Amino acid sequence: MITASNISPGVRLPSLRVQVTAKTIIMGAAASRDWQPQHHDSAFARGEAGLPDVIMNNYTQAGFISRFVTDWSGPHGRIGRLKLRMRRPICPGVEMVVDGTVESVLATVNGFSWVDLAVVVGAGAETASLAEVRIALPATAQSPSPWACPPALWAPAFEA
Amino acid sequence: MSAMDLPPHVSDWIGKPAVVIDHVVRAEAGLWLNFCAAVGDGNPLYWNYAAAFDITGEAIAPPAMLPAWGIDHDWAPGRAGPPLRTLELHFRVKEALDLPNGLVTEVEFAFHEPVRAGQSVRVEQVLREVGPLRQTRLGPGRDWTIDVVYRKPGEALAGVQTLKFLGYRAAA
Repeated sequence: MITASNISPGVRLPSLRVQVTAKTIIMGAAASRDWQPQHHDSAFARGEAGLPDVIMNNYTQAGFISRFVTDWSGPHGRIGRLKLRMRRPICPGVEMVVDGTVESVLATVNGFSWVDLAVVVGAGAETASLAEVRIALPATAQSPSPWACPPALWAPAFEA
Repeated sequence: MSAMDLPPHVSDWIGKPAVVIDHVVRAEAGLWLNFCAAVGDGNPLYWNYAAAFDITGEAIAPPAMLPAWGIDHDWAPGRAGPPLRTLELHFRVKEALDLPNGLVTEVEFAFHEPVRAGQSVRVEQVLREVGPLRQTRLGPGRDWTIDVVYRKPGEALAGVQTLKFLGYRAAA
């Protein structure tokens, strides 16, 4: 079980590698109920939108990043904040590699600790997106799960 | 701070809920498991009711899927006209500024109370600011920012999403 007490800044999360296909992109767009044509219509993407091909939508990217983080933290990890900056589109035919590092372990409140992660999403040889994730982890193995935090005390959007 | 050369009706949208989407879709596991399958997410909070019971009380929808609960069905019986589009306010801004193409350049989520099966959300889309016309790699364009606030029944805050867009006219 990952807790705030057994991690420190600099810890690297296990990489996530995904071979991106048109199916990856279209399945993500459809499942997130996003019917914008640049996410499923290659002719539109290449023509009217001036893009290389269909592109992965931001919801699917957020979904992959959430998976990447909670695969590491386990289900007690509760993501409070996720900021995603998209620099280059993710298109079919590339290998997407998600890497992440613990940036800081912040104050413990109500039995859990906020942990900031820096995440890089690579597509082939390029950086496609950069993300900052703030996740609440149990302070120790004996601490309550962050999911037990009362709504009035759950405040993930503070400036560190 | 927004640009000064905006059409008056675009300026009027700034700082207030210009588009409200009111409880159009009920969350259900069948829908969110499609999303989990798309991204390969096996978190037991989404899949395993027994495991989720001890941690969250019952299974929850993936937080990253929050915006999906604010998108109307693409078709519905008896509805006159098309549905509101994904991030309808963004499209209204694009059309008002005559910028046919748009990309999300940055998105930030603050996740609060998780969405559970049978719940729906009220969505408020607020235009925060619009930048000046500038030359981009894709053609002439502008940047704008939209906040989207998601509330569950009873006004419980489910999350806030802030999106930064680039709207552009593709270079010939």
